[in-house]
Amino acid sequence: MKKSLLGALLALTLGGVVSVLVSSNTLLSLLTQAIIYAVFALGVGVLLKQNGMVSFGHALFFGGASYLIGVLLQMQRIPAEWVIVLALLTITLAAFLIGLVIVRVPGVAFGMLTLAIGQMFFLTASRARGLTGGADGMNIEWPSHLFGVSMSQMLKPASMFLTCWTTLVVVMLLLAWLMSTRFGSLTEAVRDNEERARFIGIRTLLPRAAVYALSALVTGVAGVLSALNTGFVSPESLHWSLSGVALMMVVVGGFKALWGPAAGAVVYFLFKEILGEHATHWMTIFGITLIAVIVFSPTGVAGLFERWVLGKKPSVKVGGH
Amino acid sequence: MTNYVLQAEDVAIHYGGVKALDGVALTLEKGQIRGLIGPNGAGKSTVIDAITGRRRLTRGRIVLLSDDVSALGVVERRARGLSRSFQRTSVFSEMTVWRQVELASHKMGVIDSANDAEAVLRELDLWNLRDQTAQDLGYGEQRRLDLALALVGRPKVLLLDEPMAGLSVKESLDLAQHLKKLTSTWDVSVLLVEHDMDVVFGISDAVTVFELGRVIASGAPADVRANPRVREAYLGSAA
Repeated sequence: MKKSLLGALLALTLGGVVSVLVSSNTLLSLLTQAIIYAVFALGVGVLLKQNGMVSFGHALFFGGASYLIGVLLQMQRIPAEWVIVLALLTITLAAFLIGLVIVRVPGVAFGMLTLAIGQMFFLTASRARGLTGGADGMNIEWPSHLFGVSMSQMLKPASMFLTCWTTLVVVMLLLAWLMSTRFGSLTEAVRDNEERARFIGIRTLLPRAAVYALSALVTGVAGVLSALNTGFVSPESLHWSLSGVALMMVVVGGFKALWGPAAGAVVYFLFKEILGEHATHWMTIFGITLIAVIVFSPTGVAGLFERWVLGKKPSVKVGGH
Repeated sequence: MTNYVLQAEDVAIHYGGVKALDGVALTLEKGQIRGLIGPNGAGKSTVIDAITGRRRLTRGRIVLLSDDVSALGVVERRARGLSRSFQRTSVFSEMTVWRQVELASHKMGVIDSANDAEAVLRELDLWNLRDQTAQDLGYGEQRRLDLALALVGRPKVLLLDEPMAGLSVKESLDLAQHLKKLTSTWDVSVLLVEHDMDVVFGISDAVTVFELGRVIASGAPADVRANPRVREAYLGSAA
C-alpha cells in the first residue's frame, strides 16, 4: 500500500505539472476525454479482474449517472453536490440489485443480459422526450459554483484536466487499497474457483453482486466527470457500442493489472487522434491491433510491460472446476 | 453407544432412471479413517458429493454430530465441520498460498486465522512456500494446498477424493502418514476415496466397497480384503 501511495503522489504531481506546462487547450481537452474514458474502462476492468465477467452494458452506468444528474439538477430541489452523491448512490444500489439477479448467470449469457438491460435503458432514454429530451439529449444545467469553486474556473481546460486526473488517481488508489483488503482476497477467490470458494465457506453471490456494484460506481464516476466536462448527455452515452469501446480499452490495456484499462484508454485515444487525422477508417487499424493483442498478448499492454520491464512470468491457470 | 461423527442413512441419488447411489448407508467414528473403494463409476465420489451437499439427495439423510444436515447447503455444512478436497486439484490458482489459506481460515470463523493458517501450512510442509502463487507450485504441493484448504478451521470430518492421484510413491506415502497423524493430533475423522490399495488398506480403520451405486461390503480392512464378492468385483485375484 505504501508503494501505491507513493505512486499516487507522484501521479498527482505529474498531473499538476502537465496542467501547468501544457498550454494547448485542444491537447488538454483531449487528455481530459481520455482520462474520463480511462475511469470508465477502469470500472469495466474491475468487473473482469475481480469477477471474471465481461459486460456489454456498462454504458448504462456511464450515461445513467449523467442522466440522473441532468434530471435532478433540472428539478432544482437538491444542491448540485448532493445531486452527484445521490446519482452515484442510486447507480451503485441499482447495480447491486441488478447484480443479485444477473451475476448468477455465467459467461456469454451474463454478457447478453448486460447488453439487454443496457439497451432497454437506451431505448427508454431515447423515447422519454419529456424527461430526457429523447434522441436530442439534454443539457445539464450546473449551478454557478460546485464544491465552492466557480464553474467558469472549473470548466477551464487545465482545471478540468486536473479534476479528472485527480479523480482517476484517487479512484485507482482506493481500488488498490480495496483489492488488498479481505474483500479483495474474497472476490479473487470467488473469481478463481467459485466452487472451491463455497467449500471454504464463502457465499459467492453477494461478493459477485458487490463487485458488479463497485464497477458500476467507478463507471458512474466517469459519467459524472463526463457530465461536468460536456454539460450534455444523449442516449448515445447509454448505447452498447460505448460499452464495447470501453471493453476494447480493457482488452488492449489488460485487466490483470489495475492500471491496465486506463492504459488501454490512453492507447485508444492515441490511435483515434493520431490515426484519425490520416485515415478515415482508423477503427479498422485499431481493430487489427486489438486482434494482435488478443492473440499475442492476452494480458494486454500492462501484461507486456510487466513481462518485459518488470520481468514477471505469464500466469498459467490451474485448479479450477 | 457408538460415537459416530457422521452417518449416511439410506442415501439415494437418482437421475431419472439412473441410480447413481441407491440405499447407501455408512458411518464414521471419531478419529477413524474409512476408506471407500470400488471400480470407476461405482459412486464413491457421488457419496462425497452427497454428504457435502454438492448433490441433492433423492432419498435418505446425512447426520453430522447428531444433527441432520440433509437440508443444509455446502457453506452451512462446512461451517459445521464437514470439509472436503476434490478429485481434481482445486485451489485458487492466482492467489498466494498464504492469502488463500488465511482467507479460508477466516471464513471458518477462526479468530486468530493467521495462527491457524500457519499451523496448517507447517503441518503440511507448505510454510516455506507461503508467498508463492498456487500456479507456481508443483503438482504434489498443489495437492497438499488443496488439503490445507480443507483442514483450516479444524473440521470434524474430512472427505478426501483421491488425494494421492498423480502423486509419486514417496509423496503418496508421506501424505498417507500425514493423514494417519492428523486423525489423532487434529482430532479429525476421514472418509477417504482412493484407488491406491496399499494406502487404503495401510491406513484405514474400516473399508467400504461400492459397486454400481450400492455398498457391497463394509468392515475391517482384513475382512473386506478376504470377502469373495469384493475380490470378484474389484480387488481381483492379486489382492
